[in-house]
Amino acid sequence: MNLARLLQLASPALPVGAYTYSQGFEWAVECGTVKDEATALVWIGDQLEWNLGRFEAPLLGRMMAAWSQGAGDLELDARYLASRETSELRAETLQMGYSLRRLLGELGELPADFMAQIAVPPAPTFAWVWSGVVTVWQIPRAEALTAWLWSWAENQVMAALKAVPLGQAAGQRILLEIGRRITDVVERAMVLDDDSYSNFAPSFAIACARHETQYSRLFRS
Amino acid sequence: MNPHLRYAFADRFAIAEVTFLGATHAHPDCRFRTRIAQAAIPSVKLLSGEYRAHEELYPIIYTLQSRLSAQFDVFRVCTTCVDNAAMTARLPDPLPSPTTWQASLDLGFERRDAGTVLARRHHHGPLRIQKPLYPEGPDLCHAIVLHPPAGICGGDQLRIGIEVDAGAQALLTTPGAGKWYRSAGALAEQVVRIKVGAGGTAEWLPQESIVFSGAEASMRTDVELEEGARYIGVETLCFGRRASGERFERGSLRLATDIRIAGQPVWHERGRIDGASPLLHSPIGLASYSACSTVLVAGLATAPETLAACRGVGSSEAGARFGVTALPQVFVGRYLGHSAEAARAWFIELWRHLRPALIGREMAVPRIWNT
Repeated sequence: MNLARLLQLASPALPVGAYTYSQGFEWAVECGTVKDEATALVWIGDQLEWNLGRFEAPLLGRMMAAWSQGAGDLELDARYLASRETSELRAETLQMGYSLRRLLGELGELPADFMAQIAVPPAPTFAWVWSGVVTVWQIPRAEALTAWLWSWAENQVMAALKAVPLGQAAGQRILLEIGRRITDVVERAMVLDDDSYSNFAPSFAIACARHETQYSRLFRS
Repeated sequence: MNPHLRYAFADRFAIAEVTFLGATHAHPDCRFRTRIAQAAIPSVKLLSGEYRAHEELYPIIYTLQSRLSAQFDVFRVCTTCVDNAAMTARLPDPLPSPTTWQASLDLGFERRDAGTVLARRHHHGPLRIQKPLYPEGPDLCHAIVLHPPAGICGGDQLRIGIEVDAGAQALLTTPGAGKWYRSAGALAEQVVRIKVGAGGTAEWLPQESIVFSGAEASMRTDVELEEGARYIGVETLCFGRRASGERFERGSLRLATDIRIAGQPVWHERGRIDGASPLLHSPIGLASYSACSTVLVAGLATAPETLAACRGVGSSEAGARFGVTALPQVFVGRYLGHSAEAARAWFIELWRHLRPALIGREMAVPRIWNT
């Protein structure tokens, strides 16, 4: 049942609106950095390797570790939020965190003490709530991180299909390659020392900032 | 090709820097750096000119050292040279051990009736502050932080603490680019801690940091603001000495920047950039640019018209990329290019729009930036 729960949580069908965000990808297309399958793979693969894999994933791992001790660490939630470096990236995680919390309330599946904990922060991040759910459902950390990154990659590829645009087969080839890399990224994320955390990605940050004023756009980030 | 020897004085502080130039010489780890007192300048001039071979430098350095003895604070040789029998025969025994510099500077600005005063200052080691200046009147104190060695070596530790008490206003900058030298392996660290009390403002505007290829550098900036305090900071990083064709191929840079307001994190960034890392060329990373500037302004919401004006700021540097965004309590600007000077010009234009909104003053470029 754990696997089914994890698939549900990582599915694009989870009604939290992930599909409305491209995280700067749409600007990368607009400015010509991403123009085909190969450049889309570079963008997504580099994000996985140099940004999510070295910051978001290890931080998510720590959030899970805290939840498994019985309590969500609000300091980690605050750290994650403070690391969202543009207004759109910040709005994205807050909106998705809000939606996930509300959905969990409607499902009535999670224990009352967990629901009480996630009700504490006025605006929790998606990562923080999500890390709590996988922990309550006793999903092993490596699998949860794999699913988190996979779900993100799938969403990026969906954005690529629309924005570049790319064909379905091209999208699946990108996912095959991302899938090949993801295990190593997760293994490293689980043991990453403090000195090696890195979310320094200035060109990505500029793309996300520029997206705010992009004239014609499909996505909210 | 023979290696060339160059010496340079880092402005008027009379620091001799002796560097090997020439990519083909056989000792890639070898670098000499001497720090010599003012009085020693005539002797240092012995080092001018070009030397035909690496070996010729050794006797000269040691002659200098014996002549100047205690005035040498730092002396380093590469292990390749030390292991070379012919060279070793010319070296004194025992070899002087490399030393590192620990330095700290603590400043406290207070608001008094007459204006902002530098009420507390303590330093240890080679970190100083020039006489406080008041080019904008008594309410806002300008201070120039000096690191006389002008460069940071592996093992060096610099700690700068800046406290701006409630209602006080301080602007701090540096007289020139900070240089992070190649290291034999030890980490060089700089920690800057800035605390600002309610109604106070701190502007931390150091000039660019040039991270030499082979440097092992760690830069940490911690800003703590009370409710109602304001902060403007800029950090410009140059990867490798582009002017001499050097790229950041070895070593590493660690970055940690945090801003808290009333204890709550509002900005949290970590960076780990290794020499030759694909991140230097990645379209999400440095995208093959060698200079990166980050502007952070914290303590109040950015008005829509201010944000719009900042979005309209351009750069004179062809091909540079930049972007700005406004989080609830933090304004963020990012610049990527090759020119630290163009990055600064871009910052100055942002500052022109941000400063009046943030601290009610017109932009005032510190005179030392123009020298």
